[in-house]
Amino acid sequence: MTNGRMRTIKVDTLARVEGEGALHIKLRGEQVTDVKLSIYEPPRFFEAFLRGRHFSEAPDITARICGICPIAYQMSAIHAIERALGLRIDPAVRLLRRLFYCGEWIESHALHVYMLHAPDFLGYEDVIQMARDHRELVEQALRLKKIGNRVVQLLGGREIHPISAAVGGFYKTPTKRDVQALEEDLKWALEASLQTVKVVSGFEFPEFEQDYEVVALSHANEYPLNEGRLISNRGLNLDAAEYEDHFIEQHVKHSNALHSIIRGRGSYLVGPLARFNLNFDKLPAIAQEAARSVGLKPPVQNPFRGIVVRAVELVFACAEALRIINEYEPPAQPRVEAIPRVGEGQAITEAPRGILYHRYALDENGMILAAKIVPPTSQNQKRIEDDLREFAAQVVAWPLDEATWKCEQAIRNYDPCISCATHFLRLKVERE
Amino acid sequence: MKGIVRIIGFGNLDRGDDAAGLLVARRLHELGVESEECSDPLSLIESWAGADEVIIVDAAVTGAHPGTILVQDVDHDTLSFFEGRETSTHGLGLMQAIELARSLNRLPQRIRIYGIEGQLFEIGVLPSPEILAAVESLAQQLARVHSPSEP
Repeated sequence: MTNGRMRTIKVDTLARVEGEGALHIKLRGEQVTDVKLSIYEPPRFFEAFLRGRHFSEAPDITARICGICPIAYQMSAIHAIERALGLRIDPAVRLLRRLFYCGEWIESHALHVYMLHAPDFLGYEDVIQMARDHRELVEQALRLKKIGNRVVQLLGGREIHPISAAVGGFYKTPTKRDVQALEEDLKWALEASLQTVKVVSGFEFPEFEQDYEVVALSHANEYPLNEGRLISNRGLNLDAAEYEDHFIEQHVKHSNALHSIIRGRGSYLVGPLARFNLNFDKLPAIAQEAARSVGLKPPVQNPFRGIVVRAVELVFACAEALRIINEYEPPAQPRVEAIPRVGEGQAITEAPRGILYHRYALDENGMILAAKIVPPTSQNQKRIEDDLREFAAQVVAWPLDEATWKCEQAIRNYDPCISCATHFLRLKVERE
Repeated sequence: MKGIVRIIGFGNLDRGDDAAGLLVARRLHELGVESEECSDPLSLIESWAGADEVIIVDAAVTGAHPGTILVQDVDHDTLSFFEGRETSTHGLGLMQAIELARSLNRLPQRIRIYGIEGQLFEIGVLPSPEILAAVESLAQQLARVHSPSEP
């Protein structure tokens, strides 16, 4: 296909991503002339909706932004507000929040690895087709997801849009017995996750190595979830309060979502690859060993191998949840009192898809004066376009339907949660 | 003999008329009829485990007048009134969850779906009056049949 004619790869409705958007790639011969990932966003609805509300409402309001990662939204909101209020949290509450987050990672990673991404590698249109030939894998995924749901339900009060997390702690904390009741399920989940690493590492991966700037939280002695410095492989080392000095959001004409870039540098990558590459030594031994056993070691620069990294993070989430339920002693109080004061607070936590930044400004009565939310998918959006610009050139000579499918798969590497960044996704590859 | 019947309201409370199914489940609860609320399609498969008959209420988009109540039994045919609704605000989608359950041989003996025709699905929008009227009407209709006092 080197005759110089223009073609377009177009996906009007991207399947197997959370939410909706569209991709439009223009090709001239073997040259990619244009890549646009369009996202239709209700313009910053939630940021506007939060203004004028009391800070105590923010965890519940922000949890509604995403049905897949509500805990991430709650955690970033709560941490940012606690910072604005100068609250100190009971270590037992901190541990419970970590367990809460592990539940969400298990739910989200099980969903993406098996239901949304595995069909690409196994050659099925979707998980429904895949289930007919790989029933055991899908049943395993459903059970893993259900176990994640159980953890979330115990701490959040319900599976979707949990309501128990609060500024200062939880409205209600579980007993030791409640928490330990998760043990058998989590032991099964850990074994299933180890098996998942083996299964997905056996998939075929396109040769596609990229030189990313990867950005993730980093904590002195933990694989990052709720806190840490924000670091990158190119020298960033920031407190959350410095985030907006280094990361800027740009309006682009073709998308309602904002593109995040690192000031003066450009696109960057957040999520499992970034965490794994920057924090491999903080993974528990069992997860490190699972990675090594399949030849996975940092830096992973092929985004298609993200599915293996997600499986390793499943191992981490199960092992970490087990560690916490064994250590857990209920806090003396479910939460500390949150007394309003004028202030501003920022927080970054690691949602399953990558870092999630929140900032709140509060008045003396605890009312929210300003809110800013930067979800992981909008941070990865420019990076997805950059990947596609390189990747589309590799598949340009393929039949259009195969090239289109491969490009969709390249987008799914990022597990984009378009409904957080935005609203609805559609793909178009145009050849002329 | 009806066997074990489970009524599940499905939808998203924050997207206007997509709340219809959840609101029916809530109203049924007030009327003393056991019902569940569900926003995660994959959880549906777990929700109906052990049931002989499942009734799902969801919002639908068919081009009918807003508030129109549609009904369809799931069998080997496609769900015609959901055909036009490729995109769901619930991620995987109700149809996909049902088809996945079918692939896994985990469909209950009978699934009946009630769709309430909606028109506004934007984030933060309240359900429209036509939809609220249909919610009340359908809840009353289901309560008459499935109230615990009924034989």
